[in-house]
Amino acid sequence: MPLSDVYAVAGRDIVFESFDGEAVVLDLSNGKYFGFSDSGSKVWQALSSGVGTEELIRSAAARIDAAAIEAFITQLVEFGLLAPSSATPLPSSDDLPAALAAASEPLNVSVHDDLADLILVDPIHEVEEPLGWPAVKQVS
Amino acid sequence: MPRVTLETLPDYARFLIAAAEGAAGQFPVRRAVHLPGLELIAHLDPGALADALGQAFIEAEGDPRDSRQCRVFIGHPGIGDMPEPASWGDAHFTEHGFARKLAEAGLRGHHYHDLDFWQVYDPDRRIGVQLMRSPAAFPPWEQGAPLRAFLHWEYAARGMRLAHAGTLGLDGRGVLLAGAGGAGKSGTVVAGLLNGLDSVGDDYVLIDLSGGVTAQPLFSILKQDPPGFARLGLERRLGTDRPLNWQGKHAFHIHEIAPRPVRESLDICALLVPHVSGGKTSSIAPISRKDAIIALAPSGIAQMPGERESGFRFFSDLTRLLPCYRISLGSRPEEIAGTIADFLVRSAR
Repeated sequence: MPLSDVYAVAGRDIVFESFDGEAVVLDLSNGKYFGFSDSGSKVWQALSSGVGTEELIRSAAARIDAAAIEAFITQLVEFGLLAPSSATPLPSSDDLPAALAAASEPLNVSVHDDLADLILVDPIHEVEEPLGWPAVKQVS
Repeated sequence: MPRVTLETLPDYARFLIAAAEGAAGQFPVRRAVHLPGLELIAHLDPGALADALGQAFIEAEGDPRDSRQCRVFIGHPGIGDMPEPASWGDAHFTEHGFARKLAEAGLRGHHYHDLDFWQVYDPDRRIGVQLMRSPAAFPPWEQGAPLRAFLHWEYAARGMRLAHAGTLGLDGRGVLLAGAGGAGKSGTVVAGLLNGLDSVGDDYVLIDLSGGVTAQPLFSILKQDPPGFARLGLERRLGTDRPLNWQGKHAFHIHEIAPRPVRESLDICALLVPHVSGGKTSSIAPISRKDAIIALAPSGIAQMPGERESGFRFFSDLTRLLPCYRISLGSRPEEIAGTIADFLVRSAR
């Protein structure tokens, strides 16, 4: 899949927090949690704030090869966390290369969906022609 | 049978509240439950739910004048002009889409499809309705923690939260125990209570972040599966003649095993994530806050309808306020309790 020049958070259902530099993302629509490694957190932080893909790959070059970043971005898009954007790519922060160089873990995001909604599939047993509510009484 | 769609959901919720208010004088039973900062008034039929309301809570002893009142009508078509519950009429249902639609209208709600069981709440007016097909047509978990969705909505509106976590404490300071089912949370709470520690509850406790992290009791129920019940010596202490609950677990009340009356609150000083290690002795070691929130938040959010984003933010703030640890659980209840007691003593220094 060709990469976009820039990405954005995929929608308002994707919310995230940072804990001592490590990102946790929640997809509100299905209850899945995503825990990022330290290097993954830096990449998530950059991409979700609009840093351009080329700029990110350049900033990470000393620590992570381009193919790994491309695969990681593809994974985040497949998870529904990021979507291609038409915005103008932003430059990365000056300290991103140092932050990535200091990371001790490989690019990784783990999915925690043990308790995710079990009702995304249709739970309705017998939806026929809905009357809707309020039902208008027929005059006989 | 009328059907409700996402489009008509807010109107249906308002319709249910109006119908309950119109039938207010015809609910045979009125139960008042005193909880932290809240007087919950339930209007309902006599029977299992009314009995549960009398047994399931740890009632607060503070001045009721400091409490806000909320009213919940627990109804069915046999009471006044209460309507038949509607069915869901859209082809697709998601809990999040349902909750979001209601939230946009300033309302909260939950629908359990199998029973056409509805719960709707107006947090501005603090009035709610639980509508059932018949007096006993409620999900089996409702008796253990009755009206918990309404409490969740009411306390969330105040910036507080029901957390799916256990608690243990000593001299007013305590720990939160968080983790998915099977992690050893409930067994650890019972082990602590049987060996002299305090608890303000297991499963659902009320968390307040104003002025540090405090946990307050709501529900008195504790549960253990039969192997845990036997391992903890509860067969001898409580007997085995009570029926198992809907999960096949023994259900009992905290006051049956607590060493002292339940405290009004615990000041929480750490978040512990239990882990059944298989080793003989217990140990406590730091874990990252990222791992801690992934243990704490999912069950607390997924088991409660609506307020997902505010819950995520709340549990994130909670996790940042506390040191986080993994407790690897040994095999002996008294040793587990001793490890936590030592931890609380050391952390107070």
